Amino acid sequence: MEASHHVLGTSSKIISLASARGTEKLCELCQGIAHLQCIKCRVTFYCGAEHQQADWVGIHERICEVLVSIRSPTLLSLQEAGCIQRQLKKVELIEVCRLVALSKLSEGKHQEALPAAQFCMRCSIDVHGPRSVQMVPAYLLLAEANMGMGNLARAAELLSQAEWAALKSSEHAVHQRLHRCLGHLHTATGNLEAALFNFANDIYFASEEYGLGSTVTHGGYFLMANVYAKLGEMPIVRSLYYEVAKTWHYQLSNFLETHIQNVQSPERELETCYDKAQRVEVDDMLRTMLEFEQNDFRKDSAQIALVAHCLAMLWFLAGDSLKALGFGNTALQASQLIPNHDLTEPIQGLLQLLLTAR
Amino acid sequence: MNAAVRKGRHTGSFLPEITSNHNKMRKSTQHGWRKQQQEQLLPPGSGLEKSAEGLSKAEISLFRNSLKQNICVELLQQGFHRSFSELFFLLGSDQQRIAAEEPGSAGLPLEQQWDKLETLRRHLSRAEQAENTCSWTVVCDQRLFLAQFFSSPEDVWLRLHFYHSCADRERGGRSRPATEARACLAEVYLQLGDLQAARQQADLCLQQAEDRDWLDSSDLPLRLRALRALSSIYSRLADAPLEAEDYSEALRLLHRGHSIATEAEDKKLEFEALLRLGLAYQSAGDHATAKQIFNTCMKICGTLQDAEGLGKSYKAMTKSIESEGNTQDTLECLEKLVDISRENGLPRNLADAFLCLGNIYFTMRQYSRACEFFLQGYQVSCELGDVPLLQKAQVLVGTAQARSLIRKFGADVESSSPAALQRLVSWKETRGRKDVSANAWH
Repeated sequence: MEASHHVLGTSSKIISLASARGTEKLCELCQGIAHLQCIKCRVTFYCGAEHQQADWVGIHERICEVLVSIRSPTLLSLQEAGCIQRQLKKVELIEVCRLVALSKLSEGKHQEALPAAQFCMRCSIDVHGPRSVQMVPAYLLLAEANMGMGNLARAAELLSQAEWAALKSSEHAVHQRLHRCLGHLHTATGNLEAALFNFANDIYFASEEYGLGSTVTHGGYFLMANVYAKLGEMPIVRSLYYEVAKTWHYQLSNFLETHIQNVQSPERELETCYDKAQRVEVDDMLRTMLEFEQNDFRKDSAQIALVAHCLAMLWFLAGDSLKALGFGNTALQASQLIPNHDLTEPIQGLLQLLLTAR
Repeated sequence: MNAAVRKGRHTGSFLPEITSNHNKMRKSTQHGWRKQQQEQLLPPGSGLEKSAEGLSKAEISLFRNSLKQNICVELLQQGFHRSFSELFFLLGSDQQRIAAEEPGSAGLPLEQQWDKLETLRRHLSRAEQAENTCSWTVVCDQRLFLAQFFSSPEDVWLRLHFYHSCADRERGGRSRPATEARACLAEVYLQLGDLQAARQQADLCLQQAEDRDWLDSSDLPLRLRALRALSSIYSRLADAPLEAEDYSEALRLLHRGHSIATEAEDKKLEFEALLRLGLAYQSAGDHATAKQIFNTCMKICGTLQDAEGLGKSYKAMTKSIESEGNTQDTLECLEKLVDISRENGLPRNLADAFLCLGNIYFTMRQYSRACEFFLQGYQVSCELGDVPLLQKAQVLVGTAQARSLIRKFGADVESSSPAALQRLVSWKETRGRKDVSANAWH
């Protein structure tokens, strides 16, 4: 009992006498009439235990304490200095929520990401106003969460708000993220032409912002390839996947090299180049490509070797030697089908490393 | 106006206003091609969220976004991602190039010239299409076309990029267009003065064109084109050792250039190579060999009926004979040169020949004859309108005139006959008023 309380937070009935008169307490998630409050901060209210628990898992656990200083009225908060301080704290909160929502989204936990995204949006409106450029990331997060849960109509609505806000911005990164989300939406609704248009813009802005060879740009290539796969344009898919695999192979080989050079502090090195969310995303992408190649009638061994080698390096860097070994063997088998393939040697080197580490 | 367009992306109610803007835009020059773009981008029935008024998001973005973005997006939308990254890379290097140069001197950035961008888009995507179907020769053809499209001097970097991307391909790099690209590269590098790179390309081109009767875009055999380039490259390569007076190296290179020119079966080229070879022997002091070579030059010019070349040969020949000190032969040779130049209307050679003749008579102390020739040289250079040559001729005329006057004055003083004295007195009295050129003794 104790343990579950610890995980899900604790709440108590609202003691109406303790709060100022005339202020109706609303649920943090659904804006309905609240009956419970968080026992820790006492400034967050819920309609029922279900929403309280969802919020706790989603974001509240991370921001509970900070909320106290923002939401409880003090003498200081009425003065100008207090206002500025609160504003700054809110900006910090937005960033925290954004990161939490982002990592939950990339792990595929769309439902869990919802509270963080929602809070991020509400806080952003508070600080920047509903139509400012700074709202775009918040709209996008919320749209993505909704898309993941299948609320396409709500997602479309949020994205058009984001588009509206982004018009004032000339920042490439903002447009890039917007177009990527729109591309996702159109892919989901089956409007493939529009999806291609948006992913094309996504890739263009990513190239402007991060460079042609960046992994962000190649993320766009991957998404575009998936649309082409749905359209049945297999040669384009193949060549796009090849580009993506090549970039990641280059990137991961570099990481592996620095990793081997800093064997003394492998953990720290890994943290700096990857977080878990990113790894999940990359793993997902590479697996899709591997599957595509293995199911393709051409069975391009070079490409299979390339992608499998990427996956082996990824999991080696993540410390999962079992997975790394599996992919490494797939890569080796594929590369040995081609005489004098230049990947055979690095793959064997990686397998050697894995075997000695065990 | 922009705001109206922006709003139009979201709500239908603003759209009537857009269409009126749309009509206004029809007048702008860019509209024509944008309209055309829209048609290319949106084949009928592709249905990209067409609103009731007929403007889709994609159409609106054609007006809103930059040329660069539109072209990049179009390439990507059609699946030409390699063309996109190449174009994007080129535009990036164009920006760097402009940033590196002084402001104002670099000309218009590439991303603002839609005709060039449009050509790039069209041919890059054709090349990529061919690449996808493994038609490597077509890929090279398209790249060769692009290289030749960028013919203006400020686009030389693009020309080099496309020639290289055509010639240095792993697949298709030995095809006819790739070989032509090598020949072009050799010529471009020769123009740019990068002789080593030029020689490398010409050698490669020659290797690839060996035993094949490939023609270039203007129906010239590629092998001959490579040989020509190579011959000129060797001639130019000899410049450095010649300047450093390293004659053996220079002669080695020039001999190489000559034998290549002979192989190319191009008489004109052979003549040029020979002439340079002869001049090199001349500078090295081997006048006998030089004379032999100049004789061959003259024969070649005779068959080619190339008067200018003949003039050059005679001029070179004169110098060699003169260095040997054979005055009579020199004079004969120069007189021939005068005849040839006069017959064929080569005033520069004619002027040079007259001045040379004058010089020879001057050194032989035949001042009045020297003066005659100098004067003729002066007249020709007046007709030519060449001021430095004219001034040189004036000085020479003056010097020769003075020498011949002094000699006659001295003779009169020495002989002291009454007639001579009479001449001296009359000259003394008229000297102040008369022009120097009015010669009392004539």
